[in-house]
Amino acid sequence: MNWQGLELSILGPACLAGLIVLSTHVPLGQQVLARGIIFIDLAIAQVAALGVIVAQYFGMDEQGYGVEIAAAVAALAGGALLTYTDRKMPEHQEPLIGTLFVLAATGSLLLLANNPHGSEHLKDLLVGQILWVSVHQLVPVAILSGALLAVMWWQRARLGGPLFYAVFALAITASVQLVGVYLVFASLIVPALATTGATGVRRMAAAYAVGIGGYVLGLVLSALLDLPSGAMIVWTLAGCGIVGRVALALGGGRAASSPAPASS
Amino acid sequence: MKKYIFILAALLVCVAPRAQAFAAFACEPEWGSLLHELAGDAISIDVGTSALQDVHVIEAKPSLIAKVRRADLVVCTGADLEVGWLPQLIRQAGNPKVSSGPGYFLASDQITTLEKPSKLDRSEGDIHPQGNPHFQLDPYRMLVIAKALAARLGELDPAHAAQYQQRLADFTTRWQAAIKTWEAKAAPLKGRKVVVHHLSWVYLEQWLGLEQIGALEPKPGVPPTSAHLASLVDLTKNSHTLAILRAAYQDPKPGDWLSEQTGVPAVTLPFTVGGDERSKDLFGLFDSTIDKLLAVAK
Repeated sequence: MNWQGLELSILGPACLAGLIVLSTHVPLGQQVLARGIIFIDLAIAQVAALGVIVAQYFGMDEQGYGVEIAAAVAALAGGALLTYTDRKMPEHQEPLIGTLFVLAATGSLLLLANNPHGSEHLKDLLVGQILWVSVHQLVPVAILSGALLAVMWWQRARLGGPLFYAVFALAITASVQLVGVYLVFASLIVPALATTGATGVRRMAAAYAVGIGGYVLGLVLSALLDLPSGAMIVWTLAGCGIVGRVALALGGGRAASSPAPASS
Repeated sequence: MKKYIFILAALLVCVAPRAQAFAAFACEPEWGSLLHELAGDAISIDVGTSALQDVHVIEAKPSLIAKVRRADLVVCTGADLEVGWLPQLIRQAGNPKVSSGPGYFLASDQITTLEKPSKLDRSEGDIHPQGNPHFQLDPYRMLVIAKALAARLGELDPAHAAQYQQRLADFTTRWQAAIKTWEAKAAPLKGRKVVVHHLSWVYLEQWLGLEQIGALEPKPGVPPTSAHLASLVDLTKNSHTLAILRAAYQDPKPGDWLSEQTGVPAVTLPFTVGGDERSKDLFGLFDSTIDKLLAVAK
């Protein structure tokens, strides 16, 4: 046991980052699962990384908002492309997402042959380090997440269409840079997967509980066991997902007798 | 109730002296080892990385932040080696003692580095603008750094300054004797040609008179192209190469591949303290490095 890492000032910003990521990813994850396109976050993250590398290839400064804008523009373009393919060939959407992922990933490698400094950004974008998050870094992401949540709420009827890909692309680009791809994937999929047994508000509440439980437990355990925080949280998220699933199943008898409105 | 107070008091007695001991945090094992030479068990030493990991990138753990938070002195290589994580670590730790000033000791500030580029050009690869940061394998630079570090320890912990200077004198004597032994032993290596994995051996090469004829990573941090590998195979085969050098943390595959193509042995050197069985301290590191090179020279 290692008690020295267990300090609010060390784990607090990371926990806050997790909560901000969860705020948009829990509802988006249910969409992703319903559409059966679970690797879309990997594809969008890679496209965003490619955008950063292309921007640097054309001489853009490594620091500053230029890089963020390049990542967002690339992610939105990727989202638009996937909206188009979703409309034209919905039956091939998943394999097309996979192909986009490998093209973006290897495209980065080809461009990086002449720009090794981009590789640091690529790694930052993919691995992320939740413990390095600073509070001032969280402010713009919190504002963006709030705006995206508002859009998702107002336009919830139209979230099935092109709007989904745009919202998704922006949410992923911001969160991947904060916490990395592994955590983004887990935050999207695990709460949604754990709560397929429920619907409506009950499902949303259970999914948030799974997510928050996973992040808090993961950060505490990573401090106590002295293990990398990001990887630990992925495992505690999965653990909380199983617990949540069982809890829902045990309480399911009551819920089944009073059917909730079907609006997953 | 009295019992609890007693236990609490006993705990405080146990904890208090530890909390007051001078605490140092070393980014790499070689500096942890040097701190131990200079201060012995008088200070507590935490080391952030191990010889078996690439110090350009590390995983963030809560304990790492906690260690920097309670440190009185941070000792790192500098020259941008830790640029990917040290600034964030210092920022998150929020410890003004080590964020700048005397508590923030960079070994690269004490010496001149090699391969300092005259111009900065991205097309040349992942170049460190402040020169090559892998200078722990130059015993002379190590001695310069030891002197500066002992002085810094004395400045921050004046009560024990004399002790640090005494240990420095002792270390200097043993180190200079060891340098003589190493140089005598390594004489047959002079002028021998080596191929390296990453450009992390320039200081060792300069010291022992090894000649670097090629690198698997032609530009640091960039994977090789097939044309580069083809010319490297020819070069390695045709120039009576002694060995292909790589560090303990590096992927053995590229070196093994080149070794298979050319018949030149690939040698895994410890690179820093903890890189192999014998490298338990700085002396063991140099003993092991030289013996491993001599083993293939025979």
